[in-house]
Amino acid sequence: MEPNEAQESIEATEPNELIETVDIVVKIKRFDPDADSRSYWAEYTLTARPSDRVLDVMHHIKWEVDGSLAFRRSCAHGICGSDAMLINGVNRLACKVLVKDLGSKIVIEPIRGLEVKKDLIVDMDSFFESYKAVLPYMINDEAPPAAERLQSPEERARFDETTKCILCAACTTSCPVFWTNGSYIGPAAIVNAHRFIFDSRDKGTAQRLDVMNAGNGLWRCRTAYNCTEACPRDIPVTRAIEEVRRAMLFRGA
Amino acid sequence: MYRGREGQWAFLLHRVSGVAIALFLLLHVLDISLVMFGPDGPFDAFLAFYHNWPFRIGLLMVIAGVVYHALNGLRIILMDFTTWGVRYQRQLWYGVLGLTTAIGVPVLWIVVPQIVGGI
Repeated sequence: MEPNEAQESIEATEPNELIETVDIVVKIKRFDPDADSRSYWAEYTLTARPSDRVLDVMHHIKWEVDGSLAFRRSCAHGICGSDAMLINGVNRLACKVLVKDLGSKIVIEPIRGLEVKKDLIVDMDSFFESYKAVLPYMINDEAPPAAERLQSPEERARFDETTKCILCAACTTSCPVFWTNGSYIGPAAIVNAHRFIFDSRDKGTAQRLDVMNAGNGLWRCRTAYNCTEACPRDIPVTRAIEEVRRAMLFRGA
Repeated sequence: MYRGREGQWAFLLHRVSGVAIALFLLLHVLDISLVMFGPDGPFDAFLAFYHNWPFRIGLLMVIAGVVYHALNGLRIILMDFTTWGVRYQRQLWYGVLGLTTAIGVPVLWIVVPQIVGGI
């Protein structure tokens, strides 16, 4: 990239009479384990475009105001699931919410229920442990047919919605049960179990249901629906949990 | 406070009313059990204690809590055992609130004049 181009891209976020801009206040809950004994609110006043995403605003802060701000992001287009945050009281992806939809005051916190490592970065280890616990891969020891394991469009549609999960943790960390009991397996793991339990080619249902029948398994769900509202992929999370519960309840004993 | 929608408030009210009912049940078992100390025992004094204003208001809230908890319990059963319950959980919750009000207002209509009148 030419130096001129870089200069232009920075100026594009500055006030410009041709581009509509708004003054916004961004409050971010910050924590540096090396310097702070507890978290504190940092406030940034800046100018943004209504069409900016929250992630653009955070880039502006990190690149031009305070380089020590720490947050995760990768693809920046709602697919990688790295930048789930608690934005104005609701879990969402910073790359999928626009400034114009939030108003002039934006409050950003790390997702809840997981240990904060720095600023908006949380320790996701337990989240992925729960994910691994439901055996999120095809289990089928039967001899494969000569060609593919065929599946009808109807059989494929049965679990279509739960294939959309990007493991951003917006659902699990919006769950009041998970906030108070970090051992709860959480909606994300159940969604990913659903994806295989209702797959006609998979034979591992019994193993997965045993995992989720445990003390901190899916019976901990209290149907608060925060997960369903928070999912950036519009997965009907609570419905998936209820379907797995009924599969467990009515499985041939 | 996490800005959850209807489902979160339905869950919170269900939990709060459940705890209130459980605590009152314990208290109720205690006050009824005082009968075994006979007519000169502490039973009458304990019941008179219930006539304190905080208890009068509290008991009305426990009644509301029982009605809400029962109706929302039916909502949860519908969500657990039907394929459509989850889809209509918001409407069902508004129904629960409406029915709770419909049952609660007549109760207040009858009870409040009595407790204000000092019966």
